Amino acid sequence: MIIGYQRASDGVLAMPCFVEREEDVDKLIWDVYCVYNLSNYLKDFPGKKIGIIAKPCDVKSIVVLLQENQLRRENVYIIGVECAGVIDEKRLRLGAKDIQESATFGAKCKSCKSSTPSICDRLFEDKEKKGKISEDKDEYESVRKLEAKSALERLKFWEEEFSRCIRCYACRQVCPMCYCPKCVADQTMPAWFSKGANLKGNLSWNLIRAIHLGGRCIDCGECERACPVGIPLGELNKKIEKDIKELFKYEAGANVEQKPLLASFDKDDPGDWIK
Amino acid sequence: MIQKIVTKEELYKLLDSFLQDFEAIGPKELANRGIFYEIIKNAQDLYLGDDFTTEPVKKLFLSPSEWLFKCQYKDSKNSLEEIVLTKTKRIIIGVRPCEARGLELLDKVYNSEYKDESYVNNRNRTVIIGLSCANPDRNCFCTSMGGSNVESRGTDAILFATEGSPERSRGDKDGKFILEIITDKGKEILGSIGRELSEEEKKHWQQDKEKRKDLVKTKIKVPEDLDKIFEDPYWEQVSKSCLSCGICTYLCPTCHCFDLVDEERKRLRCYDGCAFVDFTLQASGENPRPTKKERYRQRVFHKFDYFKKKFGENLCVGCGRCIRYCPVKIDISEIVDKASI
Amino acid sequence: MENIYLPYLAEIIDIKQETPDVKTFRLKFNDGEIEHSFDYKPGQFVEFSIFGEGEAPFCISNSPTRKSGIECSVKRMGKITQALHELDTGDTVGIRGPYGNGFPIEDLKNKNLLFVAGGIGLAPLRSLINYCLDNRGDFKSITIVNGARTSKDLVYKNEYQAWEKAKDTKLYLTVDCQEENWTCMVGVVPKILEQLKPTCKDSVVIVCGPPIMIKFTVPVLLKIGFCPEAIITTLEMKMKCGLGKCGRCNIGNLYVCKDGPVFTYTQLEALRYEF
Repeated sequence: MIIGYQRASDGVLAMPCFVEREEDVDKLIWDVYCVYNLSNYLKDFPGKKIGIIAKPCDVKSIVVLLQENQLRRENVYIIGVECAGVIDEKRLRLGAKDIQESATFGAKCKSCKSSTPSICDRLFEDKEKKGKISEDKDEYESVRKLEAKSALERLKFWEEEFSRCIRCYACRQVCPMCYCPKCVADQTMPAWFSKGANLKGNLSWNLIRAIHLGGRCIDCGECERACPVGIPLGELNKKIEKDIKELFKYEAGANVEQKPLLASFDKDDPGDWIK
Repeated sequence: MIQKIVTKEELYKLLDSFLQDFEAIGPKELANRGIFYEIIKNAQDLYLGDDFTTEPVKKLFLSPSEWLFKCQYKDSKNSLEEIVLTKTKRIIIGVRPCEARGLELLDKVYNSEYKDESYVNNRNRTVIIGLSCANPDRNCFCTSMGGSNVESRGTDAILFATEGSPERSRGDKDGKFILEIITDKGKEILGSIGRELSEEEKKHWQQDKEKRKDLVKTKIKVPEDLDKIFEDPYWEQVSKSCLSCGICTYLCPTCHCFDLVDEERKRLRCYDGCAFVDFTLQASGENPRPTKKERYRQRVFHKFDYFKKKFGENLCVGCGRCIRYCPVKIDISEIVDKASI
Repeated sequence: MENIYLPYLAEIIDIKQETPDVKTFRLKFNDGEIEHSFDYKPGQFVEFSIFGEGEAPFCISNSPTRKSGIECSVKRMGKITQALHELDTGDTVGIRGPYGNGFPIEDLKNKNLLFVAGGIGLAPLRSLINYCLDNRGDFKSITIVNGARTSKDLVYKNEYQAWEKAKDTKLYLTVDCQEENWTCMVGVVPKILEQLKPTCKDSVVIVCGPPIMIKFTVPVLLKIGFCPEAIITTLEMKMKCGLGKCGRCNIGNLYVCKDGPVFTYTQLEALRYEF
């Protein structure tokens, strides 16, 4: 089976496509609307050999899954595509009525470092050689803005955001790294935090998830895109990503040979806080 | 039905005067986040434009997280303390016709046999002022589900933007609205403003209203008896990309499943959905709906078959939220339309 | 308007250990009036609240003709049943109900009755068996086939003598494998039924047990000659509200809590296999 993109019912956006028969191959498309990180579906087919169409950012999550032994390299056939950027679907939904008119590229694309996947079995090159749309922006610009605020201001900011959380768990379901068979949110013995959509429970859920993704999140932006109430989850994940880069000089999904950061111990790890 | 024409200024002035005695709730725009129903402190904060709220008005009647009673232990005795239902009267303005219809469908579950106290109380203390859709998008299909963007069913009064052509009506700044007052409750609140339409204007308006229904471009046909294709591999096909999250359920004006949990000795009722993996998981470990196929099929059948068999109407109002917000763009209207028998 | 989710308070007045993981709780309502007026049909269930832990549905296992409080037999399986097993006599619980349709007593009158139970499945049947024995004249012959994995798993052992002694009543006990000092039958319930070949003429069979037992028992009953209308079972689904609102227990357009949990096989055949 090959997982790729097909045209959605509105005739403009894309949606995932599962090709199992030769005649379905014609359904596959590739353009700026192919936003999704399809590696999320790899966990649905354990032990089977799956082909997947992956952008450079998607390949990073496949790398993390390989690092964490969730996939065998021989079971995933990576069809890499050279990518010049994909649209920001969330801004599209909130802004434009006429989609084509204001297709804009996402923040993650604007700070993308590479348009070629780090590993793949087959590469589809960008014939038009459009090149990156990356503006070489500081990828942590908005994180720094939040860091500059006082702790109380930041608490107010996040409390306001998370008061809207409806606990749909779309952020978890769309994330390739969230593959726990029984998520902490679903456990009942004991129940770790409130199941209802109240502020206390929402804070617990979102913060715990961000911590669980520390050193593993590759900033595909899917969680923020999927969130129906517009919570800027990316800021939280990027802040942890920034801290990890500064503390451990580690970047998730960059090198498949590396061991997962928080699952391995190095004697040179900072330890001056141990008294 | 009383038909009037009112200016935005008149309407806002009237609403501001109510803020003393009523709780006023309406759509408010949150930059880069969406449009949400919020308590309005000032009528100017209202958003009565084209875009739709993310969450349907159902959330204000059936709370996503609500405690039902508390168990106290005092003087070596257990006793139960019930919730005290608020009696504050409130006005909700800007409710789309599809959402108002959704409430009528929810009434069949929560306001019939075994009335849900909290829901019924919310229904009784609320005046609903609808807002007709001047610019439905490609995800809307309300006219195929027994309703439309100009329908007043479920509202106490309904506003129609008139400025400019229907496609670009935004009812903003100097706008005018046609106001249809449907119930006595609506008359009590809005009866004092505006000028009644003349007979000529009423005729014109009737024609205009009919034409506005054509703005809803997507039309589907729901199969008569879906039950015949329950076992069809079609369901496995269409549910493959489903993420089993709760967006379609929670944003749907008619979905109403819930869970009862105990937290801190309080009985909490919170939203739940059949899309979740462990919705039907039993303590023994058995799960009658273990894969996406069964769960997605359950969603479609509950809305377009089971509810219809029980109550005579589909449990879908065609608002399009599930399609608009689905992270992988699964289109239930297309799936149902293409389900052939 | 009453709060439909509010339970009656009840006290545990007796706990009996039936098997290593099954306890029978006898309850008395705190409010004398409720104690007096609470009435139910065999086969109905209650929503049992353990405050602070949650609520779960259990069938009432004593007959309404022998009201000395209501009895529920509970197998320790998950969070709520675990908490319930740790309670003591004198502890307070909550009861909501009775809910469900109960057994169709009228359809059983003047018929030969065959009761087939597996493990804890005997709980709802005990209510009906004792009801029939207390109204003995209304029913013809009664045959009870009760099976369990081992002799330790047989419930209501204190009832067996009374059942064997009753007029025109036969009791067959069986365990899956031969045990020391076991003098009754050996074999799984479907096999035992094949051996016994009970009469299907003018008969109704009421069967209750784990899903796998029902799956293999029903074909045997059909082969013996029972028509689907004469096979009655009570289903176990995850139920929460008991009122047909929370949407959890539906099979097709029927709610197990309102239209069930007692169904005839004819009804089940018409429903799709989602239980």
